[in-house]
Amino acid sequence: MHVATVIGSVWATKKDASLDGLRLLVVRPYTTDGKPSAETMIAADPIGAGEGERVLVVHGRAARHAIGKGHDIGFQTAVVGIIDKMELSDGRVVGPHVDFDEG
Amino acid sequence: MFLGRVVGQVWATREVDDLRGKRLLVIEAVDDASEPGAPKVTPVIAVDPVGADVGEHVMVAFGKAARVACGGDGDLAYEAAIVGIVDDVHAPGAPESWRPESARGRA
Repeated sequence: MHVATVIGSVWATKKDASLDGLRLLVVRPYTTDGKPSAETMIAADPIGAGEGERVLVVHGRAARHAIGKGHDIGFQTAVVGIIDKMELSDGRVVGPHVDFDEG
Repeated sequence: MFLGRVVGQVWATREVDDLRGKRLLVIEAVDDASEPGAPKVTPVIAVDPVGADVGEHVMVAFGKAARVACGGDGDLAYEAAIVGIVDDVHAPGAPESWRPESARGRA
């Protein structure tokens, strides 16, 4: 499970039938050094997260369980929560949305 | 499974049912070989059924092992969990940062 920021959406018409009706988001993992992560991921979103929101992302079977409602599904990354707050031991507090960030 | 240090906590209100009431901790791995002691920059969020505190060193399990540790069968919407709080690490040649702060300085 990781914290990531939603940076966009993906649309696909021709896709595996198990993915019909799923919202697909582009997310960028949170890094503690403050630099944008070079890697982005596509995550299915059963929660309804919006662009700029910070989310919890799971992988593998946990993701299939979260989005497939018990059925096997052709996807392995999913949003399972929108964070309210993340507090780090160095005193940093990360909010729910990039727009609320200081500086 | 990896050795990490608890560096924070996360709260979420809008979340899938499986995560309701779960304590979520932010973990940085301590085993980065390229620069001993340097934390990895993408922290892992793990469910904590054990009751670890910020600053403690913990063992984190992934996949089904994590779900079993949280009392589930295999169908839960998370895949990382704290399964133990580390008292001490003995690994010849390993950096001192692998050991929990409470154990450092001890033989």
